[in-house]
Amino acid sequence: MKGVRALGTSLLFLFAVGPAAVAAQTAREILDEVDRLMRGESSRGVVSMEITTEHWARTLEMEVWSLGTEYSLVRVLAPPRETGMATLKADQEVWNYLPRVDRTIKVPPSLMMGSWMGSHFTNDDLVKESRIVDDYEFEIAFEGERDGEDIWEFLLLPKPEAPVVWGRVEYEVRKRDKMPTSVRYYDEDGDLARSMEFSGFVTMGGRLVPARMDVIPADKPEERTTLIYHELDFDIGLDQSFFSLRNLRARR
Amino acid sequence: MSGDSVWWRVAWRNLWRHRARTLITASGLAFGYLAAVLMIGLTDGMAAELVENGTGLLVGQVQVHADDYLPERNMYRTIGGRDGTDVETLLGRIEANEDVSNATARLYGGGLLSSGDETKAGLLLGVDPGRERLVSTLLDGVAEGRLPETGAWEVIVGSEMAEQLELTVGDEVVVVAPAADGSMGNDLFTLVGIFHTGTPGIDANYAILPLNDLQYLMAMDATRVHEIVMTVERPWDTQTIAGALGAELEGGDPAVRVRPWMELRPELFEYVSLFDAANLIIVGIIFVMAVFGVANTMLIGTFERRREFAVVRALGTTPGGIGRTVVYEGVILGTIALLAGALITTPILMWFHNAPPDLSALTSGFSFGGSQWRPILRVEYSWQGPIASAVALFITSIFAAIYPAWKATRVPPADALADR
Repeated sequence: MKGVRALGTSLLFLFAVGPAAVAAQTAREILDEVDRLMRGESSRGVVSMEITTEHWARTLEMEVWSLGTEYSLVRVLAPPRETGMATLKADQEVWNYLPRVDRTIKVPPSLMMGSWMGSHFTNDDLVKESRIVDDYEFEIAFEGERDGEDIWEFLLLPKPEAPVVWGRVEYEVRKRDKMPTSVRYYDEDGDLARSMEFSGFVTMGGRLVPARMDVIPADKPEERTTLIYHELDFDIGLDQSFFSLRNLRARR
Repeated sequence: MSGDSVWWRVAWRNLWRHRARTLITASGLAFGYLAAVLMIGLTDGMAAELVENGTGLLVGQVQVHADDYLPERNMYRTIGGRDGTDVETLLGRIEANEDVSNATARLYGGGLLSSGDETKAGLLLGVDPGRERLVSTLLDGVAEGRLPETGAWEVIVGSEMAEQLELTVGDEVVVVAPAADGSMGNDLFTLVGIFHTGTPGIDANYAILPLNDLQYLMAMDATRVHEIVMTVERPWDTQTIAGALGAELEGGDPAVRVRPWMELRPELFEYVSLFDAANLIIVGIIFVMAVFGVANTMLIGTFERRREFAVVRALGTTPGGIGRTVVYEGVILGTIALLAGALITTPILMWFHNAPPDLSALTSGFSFGGSQWRPILRVEYSWQGPIASAVALFITSIFAAIYPAWKATRVPPADALADR
């Protein structure tokens, strides 16, 4: 779901949607609804990614296009040293474009767990988010009030043979507008590995979305990656052909 | 003792009553000595070669890192932290130590190498090519092409990696590496050489480029390096030398840790230490076999002389005197054998040392933990082997004489004389 996807998705976008909940829904139905408008839809956004680590901090401005959860293209707008760098996610593959050397490079399997653009997202996050529906079982673990907000908390457990890195994912959605509020990722030993928080719920492109997302690695709480959407448009008429290697290389 | 010299003389004369038997027994011992010394020399040679290759290729004999660099090898933990250190000054301080032969600085990075459609994760090693060649043999293995030059964006890769990336000398390679400022460093390099070390892990994963170029790619200043590696004057003394260097550098500025190869390659150290135990066992077996041969000969000698012993006993010699003659025979035999052994061992040892037999045609050697052993029967000189073997030989001949001597003291004069 979204949450999880959100991660990867980060790039993509999160959002959610809509109208009020219907009582007595199953977990899957709710999450499908939270997710619904994402499916098969195209979008374009401008997002800034602030990364703070023990050793450095920097902010990237990026333009992001996506189609459903299967395809996305990200191009760095700033800072100058990295302007023009781009990432294409298509199916299960991730490609990077390096303008300085004018080459596209497919991220090899051995580096899928490596950091994406130095952030707290891995390349694998980009790929895996589209498989969440297939890889996890969902159930409602908690329903009620928490921190003054009426929420659902979904528990996502990987299916036995699913090729996933998490042992458990907790995904929190507030009932009022079905906005995701947080996602927590646990490793196979049951320890919290990282958490993601959504905030800044505003209407962009005609839809209510969380404009801000923070990713915090559990073992380094002083580090984080923050995504902030500045622009977001939906249904801009992109199809799969947009997400091509040729387009990845196209300088704008 | 003058009283004793009679027994020595008797023992000496007794030995030469059966000249052939004595010489054969002595040569048995002499060859045992040769076998033991040669065996120890060969295993020492094997150990020396494993250590030389295991440390000479990449590890060096002593390494200096930031105190928190190992074992994680975090790329930010350069010597002197974020600001780095004046590398030339540090190298100068290290090389000022008279036990250090040469030292050089290195920077490590993880990255991607890409050519055409092929991309592979690799280990980027930044070196100062001139200095590196004085310290390790890594760059001697350039099978094709030449060494990279600083500032020209040149790189060399291992033979296995070149194969996987379908690279030939002259090709362009994109090198991508996470940089210290969080960005993704990337640049186009020219492949100017391919190296082959014979160690699969290195040939498949290492890309070597000039230190300054890797620093630039990883957005690091020229003051930032991960490792100082050095060779020392007396490799067998590495632990002492590293200890002295550690006392000098550790606790100062920058904060560093000094480690001898024994700590960096503990498995190699333990493996080589095992050789000493193996030597002991082999020498033990050789001399235990000799004990029985010598004891047998001497026992026959004492049985033959039953009547003689009985006569001298009857004339008033104590049993101790008789036993002593037999033991002295063993001592003299051991001395003769030792002289003969030294005489045949020395030239053979020198020959194996200076012109080791090369068995490459018969076998291909082996590789242990990244260290190669070529099938060349190289012998290392040491004092330990010959001296230990000499002591063992001596103890053997005395030990072998004890039982016959005891038997000789037990000869009952009356019965023996009466032929009963």
